[in-house]
Amino acid sequence: MNPALSVIFFTVSSGAGLGLLVWLLIASLMADHIRMDATTFYKGAAIAAALITAGLISSTLHLANRKNAIYALTRIRTSWLAREGLLALLLYPLAALHLYALQSGLPQVTPVTLWLLIADAIAVLYCTGMIYGCLRTIPRWNTWMTPVKYVLFGLMSGAVLLPAVLSLRPPEVGPVGKPMVAILLLALGLVLYLAYLLKHPRKQHTINDALGFLQGNVRLLDVGHSHGTFLTNEFGFSVARVKARLLRWIAIFCAFILPMMLCYFTKWFWIASLICVIGLLVERWLFFAEAEHVVRLYHGQQRV
Amino acid sequence: MKLGLAIDLDTCVGCHACAVACKEWNGQSLMGGAPDYDAWGKAPSGTWYNRIRHYELEGDPTYSPHRCGSHADTAGHEPLSKTINVPMSCMHCEEAHCVTVCPTGASYKRAEDGIVLVDPSRCMGCNYCAWACPYGARELDQDAGVMKKCTLCVDRIYDEQLAEADRQPACVLACPTHARHFGDYDDPQSKVSLLAASRGTQSMLDDLGYKPTNAYLSPRKPVEVKTELPLRQGLSDKAKAFVNRLIQL
Repeated sequence: MNPALSVIFFTVSSGAGLGLLVWLLIASLMADHIRMDATTFYKGAAIAAALITAGLISSTLHLANRKNAIYALTRIRTSWLAREGLLALLLYPLAALHLYALQSGLPQVTPVTLWLLIADAIAVLYCTGMIYGCLRTIPRWNTWMTPVKYVLFGLMSGAVLLPAVLSLRPPEVGPVGKPMVAILLLALGLVLYLAYLLKHPRKQHTINDALGFLQGNVRLLDVGHSHGTFLTNEFGFSVARVKARLLRWIAIFCAFILPMMLCYFTKWFWIASLICVIGLLVERWLFFAEAEHVVRLYHGQQRV
Repeated sequence: MKLGLAIDLDTCVGCHACAVACKEWNGQSLMGGAPDYDAWGKAPSGTWYNRIRHYELEGDPTYSPHRCGSHADTAGHEPLSKTINVPMSCMHCEEAHCVTVCPTGASYKRAEDGIVLVDPSRCMGCNYCAWACPYGARELDQDAGVMKKCTLCVDRIYDEQLAEADRQPACVLACPTHARHFGDYDDPQSKVSLLAASRGTQSMLDDLGYKPTNAYLSPRKPVEVKTELPLRQGLSDKAKAFVNRLIQL
């Protein structure tokens, strides 16, 4: 698949923002353990909102006909993309309601809006994963690991951002402790990513299945076009094996191992967050670049 | 109704006339618009609803030239069995996943005849339906920013201004070898149903579960040629065997 930068940025940025939102709301529930003043909470919420909004705006950049994007909310019964769009937009009125309830001191309303926000944020992450996970045409994506990966990586990058936000507290509160949730989620993320690399389905369909000649060898004689087509631009992208291997190591180190070490041994939470996001961007680039669509079989590839 | 095409992989010669006729009709039609990009430049490209690809088949005993008397070469390589030309357009699948993934409702499958269409006034050009199509049937119109695909010439087949014989998709009318047939697969007596039943069809990525409507008629098997004389020889048997021996030399 063609790794479209707008979509890569969208999934990582919104993912981190949604994860931060979830952990910020949970932290606000745990006042006994995590001391967070209102200003820090609002600063964190602003960072989460900025990440989510930047991602959502970026996601519209790859649309060829943006003026019809409003219709994208109409097919929630069948389309994961429509579900994702609607639930993502639902975050804004819910957040406004929550803020209003916090400001006007409505203790009956805040828990409702808070848990609705958390559920909605996780649902958006799940829908984003299912957009890719539901495609039978791309065997590498069509696995339960894809949505789980999106949810986990979103919560993980948000959990790394939370101690960074907490470090913005006024100095009299004292330093931030070891963010064990972030470290645990980074470890889980690493395990899931390695499992995905080892276990994801690969090479299920052959050119013989594509054309129905099940015996003998089938090979492409002529593809019928002299230069690139929409299909070759969109699905013909290939990444060199050496480059992919290098990027995979970068993703493993930057998204998981380095942030884990920084969170455990240091207080450089902003740097840890930045490195984690860069690692996730590389991981997401690979997710798209290495995905092979079955239409490649008709363009002469022997297996997908 | 379940309208669709039957494409004969035996008689298709891969001349691309169907694709040209498609482009000619749909380039200007109400539903269509199939622009070219850099058409006279160094890297010409364009939006096509129908593309023809060519394949070689090797070592398939069903279509082996051994049946006609040719042999493997000294290195033991099987001779090339067959060249197959495969025109591919929208299959108008029964389980059209391109329609279910569409977030805007621009992609739809008509209940009355099963034709899968795109409403350009709703499409936002997100390419998601093209991702969901295993057959590469959908291509983005980069000028209008909306997805385009085979309409089964919906603006021809119901046009009562046309003579009845012309109420067929442009590709079917253009095919010089009559390799393309159009009809209703719901009617077991229709031409396409009878052809599909009698000739057998190729299964193309059936395990994905899209249930394509279009059928690709399997190539006919080569007639096996016998060089030995039958026990009871007539004059015609002798003549045939003589000719076959000549050919084999």
